[in-house]
Amino acid sequence: MTDRPHPSTISRRTLLASGVALGMTATAGCVREARNIAGRDRREQLTLEIKTPPSDNDPFALRIANHVAEHLEAIGIHAQIMPLEIEELYRQVLINHNFDLYVSQFSHPPLADPDVLFPLTHSSFDSEPGWQNPFGYTDLNCDDLLVSQRTTSGADRLETVHELQQYLSRTQPFVPIAFPDTLTAVRNTRFTGWRQTAPTDPMSLLVLSPTDEHDGDSQVRLVITDARITVNQNPIAAEFRQHGLVSGLLYDSLVRYDRSDQIPWLAESITWNEDDEQTSATVTLRENLTWHDDTDLTAADVAFTYEFYADTSLGRTENPLPTARYRGRSSLVTDVHVTGQRTVLIEFSDAVQEVAETALTLPILPEHIWSEKTGGATIGGIEIDTETTEALVWNNPEPVGSGPFEFVSASDGVELIIARNPDHFLQNVSESDPTIPDRFVSAPQYEELSIEPIASDNSALEMIATDDADATLSNVSPDLVPRIGRESDVRLITSRSRSFYHLGFNTRVAPLGNPHFRRAVARVIDKAGLVEDAFSNYAVPIASILADTEWLDPALSWEGEDPTLPFFATDEGELDVDAAREMLRAEGFQYNDEGELTIVGR
Amino acid sequence: MALLRVIFDIAVVVIVLCLIGSVTLIGPVRLRELQVELRDRAREAAPAVGILLCVLILNALVRDATQELSWLIGWNITPLIRDIEGGFVIFIQSFATPFLTAYFSYIYVFGYVFLLVFPFIAYAALSDQDHLKSLLIAYTLNYGLGLICYIIFIAYGPRNSFDSGEVESLLYTVYPQFQFLTSTVNVNTNVFPSLHTSLSVTAALLAFHSRREYPIWFWLSIILATSVVISTMYLGIHWFLDVIAGTILAVVSVELGRRYVKYGSFRDSSSESQLSWPWS
Repeated sequence: MTDRPHPSTISRRTLLASGVALGMTATAGCVREARNIAGRDRREQLTLEIKTPPSDNDPFALRIANHVAEHLEAIGIHAQIMPLEIEELYRQVLINHNFDLYVSQFSHPPLADPDVLFPLTHSSFDSEPGWQNPFGYTDLNCDDLLVSQRTTSGADRLETVHELQQYLSRTQPFVPIAFPDTLTAVRNTRFTGWRQTAPTDPMSLLVLSPTDEHDGDSQVRLVITDARITVNQNPIAAEFRQHGLVSGLLYDSLVRYDRSDQIPWLAESITWNEDDEQTSATVTLRENLTWHDDTDLTAADVAFTYEFYADTSLGRTENPLPTARYRGRSSLVTDVHVTGQRTVLIEFSDAVQEVAETALTLPILPEHIWSEKTGGATIGGIEIDTETTEALVWNNPEPVGSGPFEFVSASDGVELIIARNPDHFLQNVSESDPTIPDRFVSAPQYEELSIEPIASDNSALEMIATDDADATLSNVSPDLVPRIGRESDVRLITSRSRSFYHLGFNTRVAPLGNPHFRRAVARVIDKAGLVEDAFSNYAVPIASILADTEWLDPALSWEGEDPTLPFFATDEGELDVDAAREMLRAEGFQYNDEGELTIVGR
Repeated sequence: MALLRVIFDIAVVVIVLCLIGSVTLIGPVRLRELQVELRDRAREAAPAVGILLCVLILNALVRDATQELSWLIGWNITPLIRDIEGGFVIFIQSFATPFLTAYFSYIYVFGYVFLLVFPFIAYAALSDQDHLKSLLIAYTLNYGLGLICYIIFIAYGPRNSFDSGEVESLLYTVYPQFQFLTSTVNVNTNVFPSLHTSLSVTAALLAFHSRREYPIWFWLSIILATSVVISTMYLGIHWFLDVIAGTILAVVSVELGRRYVKYGSFRDSSSESQLSWPWS
């Protein structure tokens, strides 16, 4: 026994075999030692899988994932890239929480309130599907700060938000990487009025108008590299929605934001009552509102919508089954009372008015359609999962909304067509109406809008160049920018998007629950380098997702490098492998002789 | 429309190539014979043609459904493939030049279609119809077995796994119009095995077996098939393992196809088999 090999170099099976042999000849003491050695789980190299959309759907995410994988390999962690079409990626990451790491763009709500962090990082959303804390991040300190920023205003709130950002930067439940510039190729010949910022968001599409020479043309043709919208039009299905463009055209909310304007939309007027600890709002709807199926839109629909967001089973199940989208904002509303045909009183949870306001931007759904969808999800009539309502998985094949566009047709993977809703209030509103900006009076000034999925951004640009499409909805890769310049009549519009790219950790999985490990991973990512190479500088690196807003903590503003977790760089700007390994070693991680980071087998 | 333009281009090029091939490789004697016997030969080959068409149509009809099924039950082997073969495709792309990119792009689209279509004419022009039947059965098996593999395995090609700085999607970057066609007839998760490889190798293997009748076509098909196989990797569309799996699929399909024609059964033993061509 004196010359037995070092335990780390022989396999457990060999040891077991020798244990058996020993048992026949040697003493109990020897067997005990064998058990003591063989009974220990062997350490093995840490393998992490990075889930990400394929290049055809999102060229940037894949490049970031490859960068991360390469640098993880360099510090002894085996990293595998798992490309997944977006629907599947969202299902695995957001619904099933089945992942180690993922790289994706965040579907950002169109407002810049710091309360966006609430659903993203509050522990109460840990088990909820959707863009609600997919990281499984649970931290008492963070929860307190999140609640506190909802209930304070002015300088107090600003201070809390700063503290919150610092705390998240320190614990890194996800690594914010960059705000990309949305690169959109548009064709000038048929429609004018393409905006310089977000030319393809719902409000921007509303203000397009046909050019004089193409006055007869009435269809705006958009192309997208993501076929999900042709398959499913359910506004509350997290795995099928990106930025909610079509939902935003088909469905209306009480209030809409356009740029920095807050526009009363379905609501004609809103009165806020902020008395002792209870924020509430009395909302009066516009007159003569109707759904696309000509049913009246009433206060009862509004009350239904907010109840439905909180529990799509409407009390049928033991636990509420909330929607997978809009959870942060819908969680602000506690009760809605119908006080008249056109008036509701909305009561909010502990939140100040500026936060509560964001809840008014949720799409209002028709009660007569969605109240039928509160039962359990079935396949062929058999209830499969009592924890899922039909509403959550329904394709909503013929959406009925109240928005400025109504649904015409959709065919899987081929096309979606929506048309101007002639009964929409924008069509009848007068220019003297003070609540609606002039640009939206009688909008849209064209008949139809079509969305066609195509294979990649290359094909998208080709379609625009050959006058088969008017604009790209999905990002175009910077590699194509020179080509856009060469095509006549095709224009590139770049606008900063707040839908940040990030690396998400599944903190439910060891060792990703360890903030020291997450911090080390954050420090092997060269955000500035990625912006330069992967995004060709059509992006800005960020250390906080509130960068670009007045809420940004000055300590987290980008000054040439990440202010709190700078990239481990050598003098040449390459990854400083030794420094990164040193940090991990100092935090108790172990390396084997081959330089692999090892953990006890998971 | 862009897609129709691409299809039109391919049709024109392939018809011209087939005409040239017919005159030079098949020769006037056989062509005249074909003209006379066209009806009889067509009738003889009709069942096999019918089966091939059925599989092709079925393939097109169920593509979306199989894709959904594949995501539900399939095995995503992209990371595994990349772990096994590493940067082989990066290595191949390191030889990229504008000339090679043009060559392989046209081979991938035009050369491939010609390589698959020309044998129909060449073998139809032979008085012995066995090669034609083998060809039809082998193509059918390729599509059928390929479809099953696509349900079992989900895999993205190198261009959807590597950073575009490492593996460039050369075909679609340089000739974006071709993607209208490829995205219509295929799905980007169906790369394992490579049907481009398997069908090209099938055509070349059958050209080997018919080398006595068409010696020049044999060499030409070797060159074309090799080029198509390399192009799938050069263009970043397929992995090396897809190519290997495609080659195995081709060998199996050709072997089975020839056996069936020879013995009337997919089994090897001719004596036991009581099956015969149902139409002969």
